[in-house]
Amino acid sequence: MEMQDKIAVVTGGASGLGRSTVKRFVANGMKCAIFDMNEEKGNALVADLGDSVIFQQVNVTDEDSVKAGIDATLSAFGAIHVNCNFAGIGNAVRTMGKNGPFPLDAFKMVVDVNLIGTFNTLRLCAEQMSKNEPFTKDGGRGAIVNTASVAAYEGQIGQAAYSASKGGVVGMTLPIARDLAVLGIRVNTIVPGLIATPLMMGGAEELTPEIWEFLKPLGSQVLYPQRLGDPDEIAHMAQFIVENDYLNGECLRMDGGIRMQPK
Amino acid sequence: MDINGKVAIVTGGASGLGQATVEAYVAKGAKVAIFDLNEERANTVIADLGADKVAFWSVNVADEQAVKDAVAEVVEKFGALHICNNFAGIGSASKTLGKNGPFPIEQWQPVIDINLTGTFNVSRFAAEQMAKNEPINDDGGRGVIINTASVAAYEGQVGQVAYSATKGGVVGMTLPMARDLASYGVRVNTIVPGLIHTPLFDMLPEPAYKSLEASVVYPHRLGKSTEIAHLAVFMAENDYLNGECIRLDGAIRMQPR
Repeated sequence: MEMQDKIAVVTGGASGLGRSTVKRFVANGMKCAIFDMNEEKGNALVADLGDSVIFQQVNVTDEDSVKAGIDATLSAFGAIHVNCNFAGIGNAVRTMGKNGPFPLDAFKMVVDVNLIGTFNTLRLCAEQMSKNEPFTKDGGRGAIVNTASVAAYEGQIGQAAYSASKGGVVGMTLPIARDLAVLGIRVNTIVPGLIATPLMMGGAEELTPEIWEFLKPLGSQVLYPQRLGDPDEIAHMAQFIVENDYLNGECLRMDGGIRMQPK
Repeated sequence: MDINGKVAIVTGGASGLGQATVEAYVAKGAKVAIFDLNEERANTVIADLGADKVAFWSVNVADEQAVKDAVAEVVEKFGALHICNNFAGIGSASKTLGKNGPFPIEQWQPVIDINLTGTFNVSRFAAEQMAKNEPINDDGGRGVIINTASVAAYEGQVGQVAYSATKGGVVGMTLPMARDLASYGVRVNTIVPGLIHTPLFDMLPEPAYKSLEASVVYPHRLGKSTEIAHLAVFMAENDYLNGECIRLDGAIRMQPR
């Protein structure tokens, strides 16, 4: 897929992986609709990038919220070609711990945002993509990029909910690709390892010296290079996924070779 | 890694996936050494891209001394080694047990020798040279090795037992090789192609070819060698990609036959 002039919906686009991806997409001639809960960060990114982006406050778990976001995207830009799903949350709770069994509502919330929110958004974007005239000789109409985590494969102590949600994202990659093949929509999933984002930095956006010191022991767990990933390295993978027309139904780890240990 | 100014070895670089990768690397400003057995084809590639940018070594990747010598000569000629792509490989079609009896053992070893042992042989001598580099980035990076497996590593078909064993081996050694070479700053990744169009497929009768195309989920065609090259470039460039095997296959999952 040629990126120039294509339009992407990027959930979680106001920070972390999503933000880096929006920046890279725009630098390559795309327009982006940033779907995020954080209005302040979303508007800041719009101020930064100008006409190529819009911000919509969207709760990916809410059908009407996503539909409203999509309507706004169509009004601003006219079509949707790419959907990147980066919106996600984590928690750390043991299945059975000092405080008793894992509270069910906490489990459901993580699954709701990460798994159901991803599916909710991609199905509604696929609906819009299906209306596109093919833009490749293969009858291509769109590309969907989901975000899982190495926790899908090697979830640590406390990660039952997070790993369930991310394992679900991995598990649904191929069947969704099979569903959408007839429409010319490719579906792939990025599987990040430890990446320097607010999710890893207790909400902070920038890698300050204090946070860097705090994160260094984590970096030494990575095989090579021994550091956290840069969000732009994930964005580079998102770009690769969008561009390569033969990549489909695949989950790609970007993790410096880490294999997560129990703790 | 910025490919511009780097030196790459591409085994099997005289045709197909290897050739497309040689072209992609040269377009990005690298110098490339083609290791292959087909001198004539290699010379065509060199005539196309320029003898200042591409050179040919006649190498049987399973031959220890030949590989050792050739890798050393590449460094002598081009000054260093940063990237190694292992595309050299052969196919095989024989059932574990068939009408003619059990799999003939003399057909087993050559596939192992070239696809698995050859890949490993080249990689270890390439790593030796890469380890001598000054770091090329802040991560202490010195090089990247990119192997080629096949979806047959995961879904080998009837008759592919030998081929799948070799490609499964390539997949299986990706992580331990990355772990071995981490202290040298050398990343290791593996491309897992599905059905990719190469001159080999030109000989297939049209109905058979169309049937193969239809078996791909989407897009309904064989892959292009340029798409494989695009993945090779991505693997070389992205400094955080390590120990990973990536399928490029239009979402195919191979059925028994």
